[in-house]
Amino acid sequence: MTYADYRDGKPVILTAALTGGVHGKEANPNLPETPAEIGEAAAAAERAGASIVHLHARRDNGERAFATERFQEVTDAVRARTDDVIVQHSTGGTGAPNDLRAEPLRTDPAPEMASLDMGPLNRYQHLTSENTRGLVAALHAEMQERGIKPELEVFNGGHLNESLAILDSEGSRSLGQPARSAGDELDDPPYLNLVFGGGTTTIPHPRNLLNLVENLPAGVEFNVLAFGPHQLPLTTMGILLGGHVRVGLEDNLYYRKGELAESNAQLVERTAGIAEQLGRPVATPAEAREILGL
Amino acid sequence: MPCPYLDYRREDADHAFDTERAYCTAVDEFVQPMRADICNDRYDLDHETDCEFYTEAESE
Repeated sequence: MTYADYRDGKPVILTAALTGGVHGKEANPNLPETPAEIGEAAAAAERAGASIVHLHARRDNGERAFATERFQEVTDAVRARTDDVIVQHSTGGTGAPNDLRAEPLRTDPAPEMASLDMGPLNRYQHLTSENTRGLVAALHAEMQERGIKPELEVFNGGHLNESLAILDSEGSRSLGQPARSAGDELDDPPYLNLVFGGGTTTIPHPRNLLNLVENLPAGVEFNVLAFGPHQLPLTTMGILLGGHVRVGLEDNLYYRKGELAESNAQLVERTAGIAEQLGRPVATPAEAREILGL
Repeated sequence: MPCPYLDYRREDADHAFDTERAYCTAVDEFVQPMRADICNDRYDLDHETDCEFYTEAESE
């Protein structure tokens, strides 16, 4: 996508990241955790303009869960309460063993989309989510088997290299790099999520968003995700650059400085309003499916 | 083995919950869900090597 897409008024896809796995109600009591709470949050986010909901699962006490059974409860609750929203499951998990990472892909039905981390991510003093190429390839293969479109998580510029390396070498993107192995090819259009924040994510500054966008090959769709106070400015910039955006309490607990967000829907509604004001209509789930080739 | 500083509580001075949640008595705060993985030593994590709060408390 390009600035021309902005000028042409291409619809912007809004993703709502409802809960995540890092913080909980101790940080913002409005963050949904139980399947019912996540389902209600998904429905409200859809009404506010989200066409994708990015899901994690929690235990009843708010702690992280990776089991297929718990993801099933969450996704069932979401599907029961929403009209047409696209379900995207996380496969991330700092500190979690590899054999748990694929469990969110195994619900019935499978999620239409899932996140796919492109490499290591540091958190806290001692935790690294390794995301070796072997794990990435295994998760991607299972996504392909189940018809799940990956959202490539580009935590930094090096992960853009990793993303380019698995793009189809037979395509028209002039990448100069072959696919790493048979079966690595991505269905068109590749969908990359550019992540900005602390740790080993890209330094959250407009110039770095511009730099990553300039390095994207033709024919990909990109999304912008930025943590905390960077969510509003960088997602707005993403809209201007022809990208799609993700907002929600997983990434940002505040509506403005010192004021906790009331809900995921509140953050989605603000972004939908900004997109409309800037001349880009908010994509319906059907339009999002068309754009992403689902 | 769970961290000796882990306690499950329903409330403190600032929060009240329907379900007991992980509370770190080393820092006197409810902890984030991902940190609770370390408190409980889930997923091959170990509070003795992976939690700075534990190591700081033990060094005092």
